[in-house]
Amino acid sequence: MTQTRRAFLADVGMGFTGLALGALLFRDGVARAAAPAAWAPPDGRPHFAPKAKSVIWLFMVGGASQMETFDPKPELNKYAGKTYAETPYKSVTGSPYLKKNVREVVAGLHTVHPKIFPMQVGHKKRGRAGLEVSDWWPHVGDCADDLALVRSLWTTDNNHGAQLQFHTGRHALEGAFPTVGSWAHYGLGSLNDNLPQFVVLGTPIADCCGGAFGHGAHYLGPEHDGVRMNVDPKNPLPFATPGGDKFREEQKAEFDLLGRLNRLSGIDYPDDPALRARIKSYELAFRMQTTVPDVFRLGAEDEATRALYGLDQAATRPFGEQCLAARRLVERGVRFVQVFHGSNGGADAWDAHGALKAGHSALCGQVDKPIAGLLKDLKRRGLLDETLVVWGTEFGRTPGGQGSDGRDHHPYGFTVWLAGGGVKGGVAHGATDELGFHAVENRHYVTDIHATVLHQLGLDPRRLEVPGRKRLEIDYGKPIKEIIA
Amino acid sequence: MLRLPWRAALLAAFLFVNASTVHAKPAHKQALADYFGPALDRRLVDCRTCHLPDKPGQEASSEKPHNSFGARLKVVRDELRKAGKPNDIAARLAAVADEDSDGDGVSNILELLSGHSPGDAADKPTPAEVARAREALTAFRRRQQEYAWRPFEPVSRPVPPSVKNASWVRNPIDAFVAAEHEKHGLKPRPEAPRHVLLRRVALDLTGLPPTRQELHAFLADSSPDAYEKAVNRLLDSPRYGERWGRHWMDVWRYSDWAGYGAEVRESKKHVWHWRDWIVEALNADKGYDRMVVEMLAGDELAPDDPATLRATGFLVRNWYLYNRNVWLDNAVEHTAKAFLGVTLNCARCHDHFFDAIGQQEYYAFRAFFETHDVRTDRTPGQPDVEKDGLPRAYDAHLASPTYLFVRGSEAEPDRSKVVVPAVPVLLRGAPVKVEAVALSATAISPGLKAFVQDEELSRRREAVAAARAALAKTPADAPATARLTAAEADLRAAEARIVADNARFGRGPGNADVLARVAGRAEREALLAAAEEKAVRAEAAAKAKGDPTVAAARKAVEAARLALAKDDATYTPLSPVYPKTSSGRRLALARWIADKSNPLTARVAMNQVWMRHFGRPLVPTVFDFGRNGQPPSHPALLDWLADEFMRRGWSMKEMHRLIVLSNAYRTDSTPDAASAAADPEDRWLWRVPPRRLEAESVRDAVLHVAGGLDATMGGPDLDYTLGLTSPRRSLYFRHAAEKQMEFLKIFDAASVTECYRRADSVIPQQALALANSTLVLSQARLLARGLTKEAPEPTAFVRAAFEQVLGRTPTPRETEECVDFLNQQASLLADRGKLSTYAPTGGSSVAPSADAPTRAREDLVQVLMNHNEFVTIR
Repeated sequence: MTQTRRAFLADVGMGFTGLALGALLFRDGVARAAAPAAWAPPDGRPHFAPKAKSVIWLFMVGGASQMETFDPKPELNKYAGKTYAETPYKSVTGSPYLKKNVREVVAGLHTVHPKIFPMQVGHKKRGRAGLEVSDWWPHVGDCADDLALVRSLWTTDNNHGAQLQFHTGRHALEGAFPTVGSWAHYGLGSLNDNLPQFVVLGTPIADCCGGAFGHGAHYLGPEHDGVRMNVDPKNPLPFATPGGDKFREEQKAEFDLLGRLNRLSGIDYPDDPALRARIKSYELAFRMQTTVPDVFRLGAEDEATRALYGLDQAATRPFGEQCLAARRLVERGVRFVQVFHGSNGGADAWDAHGALKAGHSALCGQVDKPIAGLLKDLKRRGLLDETLVVWGTEFGRTPGGQGSDGRDHHPYGFTVWLAGGGVKGGVAHGATDELGFHAVENRHYVTDIHATVLHQLGLDPRRLEVPGRKRLEIDYGKPIKEIIA
Repeated sequence: MLRLPWRAALLAAFLFVNASTVHAKPAHKQALADYFGPALDRRLVDCRTCHLPDKPGQEASSEKPHNSFGARLKVVRDELRKAGKPNDIAARLAAVADEDSDGDGVSNILELLSGHSPGDAADKPTPAEVARAREALTAFRRRQQEYAWRPFEPVSRPVPPSVKNASWVRNPIDAFVAAEHEKHGLKPRPEAPRHVLLRRVALDLTGLPPTRQELHAFLADSSPDAYEKAVNRLLDSPRYGERWGRHWMDVWRYSDWAGYGAEVRESKKHVWHWRDWIVEALNADKGYDRMVVEMLAGDELAPDDPATLRATGFLVRNWYLYNRNVWLDNAVEHTAKAFLGVTLNCARCHDHFFDAIGQQEYYAFRAFFETHDVRTDRTPGQPDVEKDGLPRAYDAHLASPTYLFVRGSEAEPDRSKVVVPAVPVLLRGAPVKVEAVALSATAISPGLKAFVQDEELSRRREAVAAARAALAKTPADAPATARLTAAEADLRAAEARIVADNARFGRGPGNADVLARVAGRAEREALLAAAEEKAVRAEAAAKAKGDPTVAAARKAVEAARLALAKDDATYTPLSPVYPKTSSGRRLALARWIADKSNPLTARVAMNQVWMRHFGRPLVPTVFDFGRNGQPPSHPALLDWLADEFMRRGWSMKEMHRLIVLSNAYRTDSTPDAASAAADPEDRWLWRVPPRRLEAESVRDAVLHVAGGLDATMGGPDLDYTLGLTSPRRSLYFRHAAEKQMEFLKIFDAASVTECYRRADSVIPQQALALANSTLVLSQARLLARGLTKEAPEPTAFVRAAFEQVLGRTPTPRETEECVDFLNQQASLLADRGKLSTYAPTGGSSVAPSADAPTRAREDLVQVLMNHNEFVTIR
C-alpha cells in the first residue's frame, strides 16, 4: 500500500527529525519503489539490498604517513639520503599530477622535498593474505585478513583543508558541502528509537580546516548534521540532563503533563505533523536522558572486553573508550559513527613535519590496539558483517624528508582501509609508485570511498540529489567494486 | 545498466568535450523554451530544432542553414513584420503551430510536444506519442490562458481578479488569493480568534509574543480599528527592526569575523556596524532600493558619511584571507542570489545550463567587484582599529583587469581579453552606466578628519602635560627631562604632519612641498628625541659601565641624528592615503539592481517578505527564479506585490502593513476537513499555516515572557558563550563559523555560509534545550515567582501563566490538568528524600524554590515554555 508523505511522517513521527522512530522497512530489506516523477525527499528505505547497516568512520587528523602505516616502501630505505634525481624514479617529480592535482590555499607553502627519507619503522607481511603492514600496527596487523587496503587515494588540497575535503569531496576553497555521514543519514531511516543516527566522537577538526562542517549536512539541513557526543555519562551531549537541581520524578511529571497538554491542543490541529513530531521528540528526549548516558557507561563491559580495547592502559584508554563507545552505538542501531583521533585544535597530531618517528610511533600506539579491539569485538559478536569500518586520513606524507626527521603534506598518494560491512578481507587494491609518491594503479579520489560506503548501505548517491543543488560527476564518486565481496 | 540522467550527461559533454562552444543565439533557444515552458522536451532546446547540421552527427548551430521549420519561422517573421504585428518567437510559433513544416504528416506543435523535430521528416513521433502530445497540447493551451510567470520580464501590474467572495477581499492581496480558492473549490478559514491574531502578528513583526498586559489591552479594545492600531504600534516598535533585521541578515549572509585563534580569515572585526545599520534602516523604513545601493556602493554614494559606509558590510563580509577569487566569487554569487534570485554562480565554469547566461557574463559581473577591497576606518574616540573601527568597502585596485577563467580554473585566466563590467543580457533592465566617482579629501585621506586630528593632538598634549607634571616633581631627573623633550617633539611633529596633510589636500595654507619637508624634519626630530629619551633611560637603569643596551641606545641616537641631515619631502601622513577616485562600477551595478525596470529585485524581495509572514515563499526556490527553480503558486500576486512595493517607494513597512491587514493573513490556522482533503499542503492558502518560531525568537521569547529581556540595542557582537545567561536579544551575539550559540544552532539558526531560507526541524535536542538549559530553568523560576505574587490562587495562577507564556487563557480541561499537576507536584516535592537526582552539571543560575508549592509552579511555567504552542506561530 502506498502512503502519502504526510501519513508516513505521522507514523514515524519525524522525517524532519534525525531520530526516526520505529522499525523502518530497512529492517525487512524492502527496497524503495522507482523514483516518482516529482521530486520527494528520501523515504528512508535503501535503493537496493544493503550489505551494511552501520558505519564506523575512524579519521586520523593531520595526515598519517602512508609508508609508515599500510603502504611500506623498501625503496625508500635503499635510496635514503639521495635526491629523486639520483634514483631510477626521478620521473616522479616530472609527473603532470604534481601541478594538475593540486589547488593550493597558500601558494608555495608545501613543496617537493627532494631528499628521500627512509621508512622510520620496519614492516611485515601479515595474515594469510600477507598484507604488508608497518610494525607500529601489531594489533591491526592481526586483523589483516579483514582489511581491504586502498593504497591509491589522491586529493587536491595540500593543506589541512583536505580534512574537510575528505568528508565532503570538495576542496575547502569551494566551501562547505554535505558530508558522507550526512548523506547516509539523509538517505536512510533510523534503526533505533532512542539515539541520533549520526554521532560524532572525539574532538572534531579545528576551525582552520573545516571545523563543524566536517560532520555537517550543509544544504541537506541541520537535522542531518552529526551530533557530537562525549564519552562521559555525566555530560554526553549539550543539555543532556537538567543537572542536580531537578529530580527525575519531578521532570517525569512535567513531561507527562506536557504530553497531555500538547495532545489537548492537537484537537484543533489533527493533521499537524510538526505537533506530532514535537510530542514524539519529547518522549524521545526523555528516553535519551537515560539511554545516551547509558551508552557511555563503559563500566558495564566486562574486563576482558575493556582490555581488548586497551582501556587498561593509559596510552590506549582515550581512543579505546571512543572505539568501544562506537561499538555500543552501532549495536544500538546508530547508522554512522564518526570518530576523530589526533585533533588538537590546530594542525593536529598526525601532522609529522618533524620527529615523525617519535610522533607516529606514539600515535599508532594510541590507536592500534583500540582499532584492532573494535574489529575483533565486532567480529566475535557477529556485527562486523553488517558494520563497515573505515580508517582514513586527509592525505599522506612526502617520501622526501622535511627538516631532519619529518615528512610534509602529500596529496598525491595515500592509503585508506575498509573492513567488514561486505568488503573483502586481506586485499590490497591500488598502488603508489615504488617511492609511495603518486597513486599510479587504480587511482581513487576521496569520493570513491564515499560511494563505496553508500553502496554498502544500499544507497545510490545519484538518487539522493536535491533540487537546485547541482552535483558534479566527481561528487558522486564510484564504488570500488574490486574490494566489494 | 546505469543510465546517466541527461543533465549529468550534458554536464560531462560541456566539461570535457566542448567547453569553448557558446550558443550563437541563446535568445532564440531561450524564447523557444520560454514559450513552451516545461511542456517542451529539453532535447529540443537546441540549434537543430531550426537549423540543419552540416553533416550527419555534426554539431548544428545557428550559423548553419535553416531546416524546413526554421525557414518557415523566418518567412512568418517577415509576413508578421509587414503586417505590423508582433513578430517575436512566441508570435511566430503560434502562427505555425498547426502547420506541418517537414511534411511528415504530424503538425509542428504535436512534434514539438512529443520531442521530435518539426523540421526533419525522418524524426517523427509514433501514433502513441502523438496521442500523448494531444493531451499535452490541451494542457498547454490551458496553461496559456493562465497568468504567465515571466520572471525575467519587467514587472507589469496585473489587475486584481474579481471574485465571488467579494466581501472577503480587504485589499488586492485577498483578491488574488480568493481567486485561487474559487478555482480549486476551497473555502478560506474564518478569521482567527483575536488572541491568536495578536500573538501571530506580534511574533511576526517584532519576534516577541505579546505580554499579558498587551493581550488584555487588545482584547479590551472594542474599536473597529483595534487590530490596525496594534499593527501600527508593532511596526513603530524598535523591536521590528531587530526582528526583520535578523531575517535580512540571513539573506545578506551576515557573519561576524571568523578565523583561527586570533587570526581573522573571513569577514572582519566590527562588522556589527553593518548589523546596526540594517536594524536602523528597517526601523527608519529606508527604501529597499536605497538599501541595496548603500550596501553595494555606499562608499561611492556617500563617501563621507560613516553611517552610510556601514552598509558596505555586505561586501566586507566576503573578505577572505587566503584567496581573492573565492572572495570575489562569493560577492558575485550572493549579490545575484540575494537581490536577483539568479544562480549566476552556475556560470563560473561553463555557460549556465538552465538560464541563458554565458560564462563570459559571469566574469563581466565579477568585473563590477574587481576593483574593490576592504579597509577599516577609525571611529571617533577609538584610535585602535583592533578595538573598534568601521570596516567598509572601497576601490583599491582601479587598474585590476578581469579575465575569464577557462573552465573556472583560476590557474587558467584567459589573458587575451579583458572582461569589462556588464550585467547579463537575459536580465535586461536599465542601461548600466559606469562613471568614476571623485572622492573627497577625507575619503582619500581619513587622517584629515577633524576628529582624527583633534584626537591625535590632544593625546600628545596630554602626554606633554603629564611629562611636565612629572618633571615638576623631580626637577633635575634626566629621564623626566628627556621624556618632556620627546613628548614636545612628538607634538610638534604631529602638528607639522597635520599642517602638511592639510596643505597637500588644499585644506590649509602654505606650499605643500615645503610643509612636507617641514613635517619630515619635525618627524625626524621627534624620532631623535625619542631615541635620546631611550638612551637616557638606559643610562639611568644601567648598573655598570659598558652596559651593551646603553651602547646600542646611543648608537640609535647617532643614527637618528644623522638622519636629521636628510632633507626630503617624505613624511608620514596621519592616515593611509587611498586612491583619489572610485571606479563607480559598483554604484552602476547597484543602481541597475535598484531600478524599477529590473525584473527581479522587487519580486525577489517580496517573495522573501511573503515567506516570512506565511512561513513559506510564493516561489519555493527563493534564490533561483530561473528555469531550474520552481514557479510561484501565485504568480500574479507576486507581480502585484512587486509592483505595489515599487509604487510605495520600496517601503517595507507599507508592504508588511498591507500583508498583515489582508484577510489572507488573518485566517485561522486550524484546518477544516474538506479543505485539508482537497489541498493538504495548503498551497492555495485557505488557512495560515502554523509554523515554528525561528531560533532567535525562541530564545528571546523565553526572556521576554519572563520579563528579563534587555532592550538595549546595537553595539559590538556579544560573546556567544554568554547566550544562556545574558539577557540581550539573540541577534546581538556573535554569529560566525564555529562561533555560534549552541542553543540557537539546535533550533536551526542561520547557516553562516548561506541561508536564504531557514530549516524547520523538530529534533529531540530542541526538547532537551528547552527542558534542561539554564536559560529556561532560570527564567521559568523567575516568572513563576512573579506571577505568584500577582495571582496567588492556583486557578488564577494557571490562567496568568497561560496568558503570559502562550498568549491565551486555558481551556477548563487545561486548567483542571494544571491545577491537578500543581497539587501532585507539590506533594511529590514535599518528600524529597524519596526522589532521585540527575548528576549535577553546574546547575542553573536560579536555584529552585525551597517551598514545594512554589517549586511546583516553577515546574508548571517550565512546562508551558516547552509547550508546542510556545514555539509555534499559529
